[in-house]
Amino acid sequence: MTTRDEGNKSSNRRALDKFNLGLRLMAGAFILFMLTSLFYLYVAVGNSWNLVANALFDSRILGALWISVSSAFIVGALAIAVAIPTSYILTYNEFRGKQLLETLLIEFPQTFPPATVGLVYLLMLGPGSPINIAYTYPAVLIAKLYVSAPFALSFILRRFREIHKSGLDVIAESLGGETRQILLWVLLPLSSIDILGGFSLTWARAMGEVAATLIFAGAISWKTEIFPAVVYLTSQSAPEVALAASLIAAMLSIVALMFFKWVAGRRR
Amino acid sequence: MSELRVENLSKSYGKTKALDRVSLTVNPSEFLVVMGPSGCGKTTLLLTILGVLRADEGHVYIDGEDIDDLRISKRNLGYAPQDFGLFPHLITYENIAFGLRAKGFGLSEIDSKVKAKLSQVGLEGLEQRKPDELSGGQKQRVALARALAIDPCLLLLDEPLSNVDEVTKADVKANLKETIKRTGVTTICVMHDPEDALELGDRIAVMHTGRIIQCAAPKDLLEHPSSEIVQRLLHHLLKRI
Repeated sequence: MTTRDEGNKSSNRRALDKFNLGLRLMAGAFILFMLTSLFYLYVAVGNSWNLVANALFDSRILGALWISVSSAFIVGALAIAVAIPTSYILTYNEFRGKQLLETLLIEFPQTFPPATVGLVYLLMLGPGSPINIAYTYPAVLIAKLYVSAPFALSFILRRFREIHKSGLDVIAESLGGETRQILLWVLLPLSSIDILGGFSLTWARAMGEVAATLIFAGAISWKTEIFPAVVYLTSQSAPEVALAASLIAAMLSIVALMFFKWVAGRRR
Repeated sequence: MSELRVENLSKSYGKTKALDRVSLTVNPSEFLVVMGPSGCGKTTLLLTILGVLRADEGHVYIDGEDIDDLRISKRNLGYAPQDFGLFPHLITYENIAFGLRAKGFGLSEIDSKVKAKLSQVGLEGLEQRKPDELSGGQKQRVALARALAIDPCLLLLDEPLSNVDEVTKADVKANLKETIKRTGVTTICVMHDPEDALELGDRIAVMHTGRIIQCAAPKDLLEHPSSEIVQRLLHHLLKRI
């Protein structure tokens, strides 16, 4: 407690500083900018509450709820399952082109337009290809996985590298540990918070992804239609449905992300 | 009890020679201290023996067997780094048991070996504590117990006293010396402090710019420094005594 009290005192002293006031103003403006859209969503919902309330239990909305949430969880789990071995290989192996490969796996998918991702998958695994899975639930998973798995990979890879730098893996190895023991007894337990962090960001990105999924998987109710697709497709024709879908998606994301943070905080 | 022989070991980082044709022998059950200032190559020597670094030239033999191509996990070396390297998520008991589990010992054997090591280093009662609940001296003992638990053929210690506070240092040093003597394990220990080195080592190898410039018993080293560099180094290092 003493440390916290002292910390409060010193930050209060710093608050008198003009430069500090400037920082607060800039931070305040940004926070306002970020929160306004969310606040306005609730205002808009409030203005047409009766229509939105009826739309909340619309079959189309419930279908989108199921597809969005289930696919985001599966994509999160798949991303972790592939990010762990990939992080291990990238941490412990040196090879030509490693920097380029990492860029293609982590940063590039975040800048590559999701619409293009959807188009590529549609051409590669669509009606014109021997394996046609377009407009199916697996197509939803594939499109979301490409766009969101880099988050899990970057979290886990960074943590594995930190542990490698600390030399704890070498200690484990000197004690007779082989790959399995080093991974299961050292790397994974020491990365649990980062794995959870990677999962939650992957989950969040998968929830928000729309363009790749819409192009490759379409928007078939109860099969491939996700929340953002409902919003996109109904924003003109049935704005109350779009608002209801947005409201549920926003609430769900906030609750889920706070839950992940709470779990991570308990583990720390 | 094993014998370590290092022959003409060289290792460079770019143009810097960290090890320059280093040769030495550590006899069975001997406690050899490698002493020298920071950057003289002593940790590089230790990590090359451990297998983390690969020498550009030269060989490492344990009981006459060339171990250069042996994986770290197969070398059976006990290693305790400068920061002790305790697994932060494991309690003392599990830290010490780690190597025994990795080597596939049964539960009852692990339990008896861990308890024996705990009592040997004087850590009874601290089995359930995590590393962040231990003092520097206690961490050092856990690191030592963990390295010894696997019955290593060689013990490698990197600055075992540098993260121990002055108040408990004498105790930790005495425990270290006694534990190692009792187990009879061949030990190579890297240190920069001459007082500690002379107190602990059966022999001292003085390193300077990647070379071993003298290797002798503490008394001989003090009485007959082989060169001006050793004299200066000892004078410089011993000025606190």
